[in-house]
Amino acid sequence: MKNLDSKSHVRGESVYLDDIPVVEGTLYACVFDSPVAHGKLRSVNTDEAASAPGVVRVITANDLIGENQIGGILPDEPLLANGEVHFCGMPIAVVLAESDEQARAAASLVKAEIEPLEAIVDAREAFAKGSLIAAPKRFKLGDTEKAFESCAHVFEGKTRSGGQEHLYIETQGAYTLPSETGGLRVFSSTQGPTAVQKAVASVTGIPMNLIEVDVTRLGGGFGGKEDQANAWAAICAVSTQLTKRPVKYSLHRMEDMRMTGKRHPYSSDYRIGLDADLRIVAYDVVFYQNAGASCDLSLPVLERTLFHCTNSYFIPNVSAVAYSCKTNLPPNTAFRGFGGPQGMFVIESAIAHAADALGVDRDEIQRRNLLSSGDELPYGQIVESEAREAWSQADSVYDFATLKKEADEFNKTGGHLKKGVAMMPICFGISFTKTPMNQARSLVHVYTDGSVAVSTGAVEMGQGVNTKIAQVAASVFGISIEKVKVHTTNTLRIANTSPTAASAAADLNGKATQIACEKILERLNEVAAELELESWPPVGTGSGGDRQIGPPEGETPNWVELVNEAHLRRVNLSEHAHYATPGVGFDWSVAKGHPFAYHVFGTAIVGATVDCLRGTYEFDYVKCCHDFGQSMNSAVDRGQIEGGIVQGIGWMTIEEVVYDSEGRLRSNALSTYKIPDVYSVPDEIAIEALETTRPNLAVFNSKAVGEPPLMYGIGAYFAIREAVKAFDKENLPAFDAPFTAEKVLMNLHRS
Amino acid sequence: MTDYNERPDSEELSDDERAILSELGESRRKFLGTVSATTFGVLAAQLLAEQEILANYRVPEDAVFAPVAEENAVSVTLNINGTKRALSLDSRVTLLDALREKLGLTGSKKGCDHGQCGSCTVIVDGRRVLSCLTLAATCEGKTVTTIEGLAKGDDLHPMQEAFIKYDGFQCGYCTPGQICSAVAMLDEAKRGQLSYLSENIRGKARAVKLSDDEIRERMSGNLCRCGAYPNIVKAIREVHTGTEVAETWEFVKEGVNDAAV
Ligand code: FES
Ligand code: FES
Repeated sequence: MKNLDSKSHVRGESVYLDDIPVVEGTLYACVFDSPVAHGKLRSVNTDEAASAPGVVRVITANDLIGENQIGGILPDEPLLANGEVHFCGMPIAVVLAESDEQARAAASLVKAEIEPLEAIVDAREAFAKGSLIAAPKRFKLGDTEKAFESCAHVFEGKTRSGGQEHLYIETQGAYTLPSETGGLRVFSSTQGPTAVQKAVASVTGIPMNLIEVDVTRLGGGFGGKEDQANAWAAICAVSTQLTKRPVKYSLHRMEDMRMTGKRHPYSSDYRIGLDADLRIVAYDVVFYQNAGASCDLSLPVLERTLFHCTNSYFIPNVSAVAYSCKTNLPPNTAFRGFGGPQGMFVIESAIAHAADALGVDRDEIQRRNLLSSGDELPYGQIVESEAREAWSQADSVYDFATLKKEADEFNKTGGHLKKGVAMMPICFGISFTKTPMNQARSLVHVYTDGSVAVSTGAVEMGQGVNTKIAQVAASVFGISIEKVKVHTTNTLRIANTSPTAASAAADLNGKATQIACEKILERLNEVAAELELESWPPVGTGSGGDRQIGPPEGETPNWVELVNEAHLRRVNLSEHAHYATPGVGFDWSVAKGHPFAYHVFGTAIVGATVDCLRGTYEFDYVKCCHDFGQSMNSAVDRGQIEGGIVQGIGWMTIEEVVYDSEGRLRSNALSTYKIPDVYSVPDEIAIEALETTRPNLAVFNSKAVGEPPLMYGIGAYFAIREAVKAFDKENLPAFDAPFTAEKVLMNLHRS
Repeated sequence: MTDYNERPDSEELSDDERAILSELGESRRKFLGTVSATTFGVLAAQLLAEQEILANYRVPEDAVFAPVAEENAVSVTLNINGTKRALSLDSRVTLLDALREKLGLTGSKKGCDHGQCGSCTVIVDGRRVLSCLTLAATCEGKTVTTIEGLAKGDDLHPMQEAFIKYDGFQCGYCTPGQICSAVAMLDEAKRGQLSYLSENIRGKARAVKLSDDEIRERMSGNLCRCGAYPNIVKAIREVHTGTEVAETWEFVKEGVNDAAV
């Protein structure tokens, strides 16, 4: 089943925020942002900007009618700086002009007098100074102190993983229009329409029922448009409120990179204890998360780091502490994996450290410690594990032993090229860890011509969620998918949505759609019964075991006639259904519970070749065995795996976010920040579906696929590391990601 | 306010009308206002919904305005997707902005505006160019093909077909640039244009047969953050070689839930 947007994508007809036709009278916004990471904002002089050509108005914090606050979780994020600036790129003033160019030109004329204060850019430094976003979070299982005493081997060390710029090719943006009775229409490139609605309500003082947020689709989100989309919508909204004119702001790439937060960099300490059989008995870990200047989504990200701190392994004694450290960087935020990858990198490093020290293969320790069903995770959930199955299927299908042998043989031949192979198992929990967010609604209308309109809270951003939702409706109704249209995500149609995040959108919104369609179907079948017709859909279609979609052969009764008949009999052909994931919950007072509906498992084998003269590397293959449950759309799911792997490899290798000691972003354009291009893709990506029929809570048993594959990319780091070790046995590179070519080179030739 | 549907084509305007329009802020894109009859069909479908929504909007009497005048205006005539378009624009306007803001051809995307991402790629006189780095005024008399001009009505260009066949996109934002780039790139190969990877750099130019590495090399200026690269390469290879690319991957139980339509 093709992505429903295929046609319009290849014809250039898909509409994104910047493509929405603007109406006469639209103003263009441009932000003047802080050039200083931390300081007292003494004064802002907007005179020159205000009198520049085309400028209609310049807005500063004092002009806001509502509250100067857009923090989603903690109220610690002013929309416009007032009194102090907290990071380079913090919006100070908004220039509104008749054209985009005029707004940009005038923004550079705003002057701010800032008295610099000391800027903190490093998480550990912030921790040392007591600069934290909130109290630390802890997970505890068993008794690590006691357990370490009995360990045959104990190792400790430090790791670091860097940030990652989302670099959605469509930058952030918003477009607002005044509506009658003082309301607002907001077009936003956001993963969280409700979050935007709330932020707009906060800064304008307009109640949520007068704010319509509409999202057609995003040109990529990856977490970067979850809460970080709020500011731009709020800025446009305030501007519309004050000028009574439509206002558009589509960020320039460099503005976007400079002003928005990224994946959280982490610095961590670990201590790992193993018994003589290489079983991990105890694991102690402390995470220092660089949150940036305000909370944004840092706390739930931090929590997910803890949830995934033992990755795919069973460790009976775990103590994990996580600090969200407040620094003077743009507020870091969600990014595919949401803290999980950062947690996994540490345990994988700890295992590699132990393997190095004990002279055993890393995969030997990994394999012996994989989760089994019934094992308790550090947060109390008893896992239904596919970890061992995924590992052994990958091992046998791809013949891991031979791959390793081939690399060893190759490395023996000398020369400046060395190969490394690494296994990377993953375990990723599906559901929002904040339980109340695990709910969704779907509005389904069946029209008298037999066509079906579906609206949900899910935002289409390339992950194919709308296609899957249309499949659900078509499948339940047993009609052709052409009859189904999934409409824009709109807060007037669907209220109080959870953001499209946590890989959960297809599950939540798909299930809600399924419920809505089933309710309508039930009513239609009552009509069919009254008419003494066979029930709809005819055998072979519908929501039973298989998902065949399409107009059934020799259909009786006819769908359109049935729908019409139902309408004539005054039967309701619409449904607004609600779904809440059953059985999930978490109690933070004891840090135990059952937060996830299910887990996604998988194992990847990553092969790298390192040029030991230059430090450059290539990936020969990524071969994975992945747990799809039962995929309902193989084309979409495969794309997610490939894309996730490429993005994960990018994070671990070439993508290096650099701030200088004064908190200024140095990797501030595509020329200084590299994302994977068509060259960086592994020569081979092989995907094998894990054979499993275990039922799960996913929509149609088709497990969530958005985030998990990103973590296969962590294997890339260890594959390079193996190759570096093959060049020089004594050389054990520090666990410091990304492993850029420069770093590899420096590691190869130290001394 | 003006009724957008009745807005005349800018080509048909008298000088006076043009001056009035420019005072109203012609530098901004008005939806459908400047879309010519030929592109209307293509655009109408996608814009209509918005148009209906937005058409109700009226600027309040007390809204604030500032006067706008077009600076450094030059007249340029471009041949875009088979239609001559006469434009009056600021000499500093890029081809990308002219297409998107003046002609309503929003298929070409702005990913960076700095020549670093490739999403704005269009074809000028048979060669791919980054329209964000090309001044519209330098295209006087040239033939410009954008993503909107590749299909002939309902018949997609083979490259568009191939991108659909191999799912060469996810979010679709880089797609127009990828496709335009790929189309012109294959023509470059036909003309025998060499790349960094070409082995034989002497002798007469003749059509080059591209390996996957060559395709990658020549497409490396087009970024895709969704990482649809493997499928993009497959799509291009099929169009280049005319032979189907073997699917190297499949689910163990392909199609169990997979809806066939
Ligand atoms: S927008 Fe032209 S290359 Fe990025
Ligand atoms: S498809 Fe999303 S950037 Fe390429």
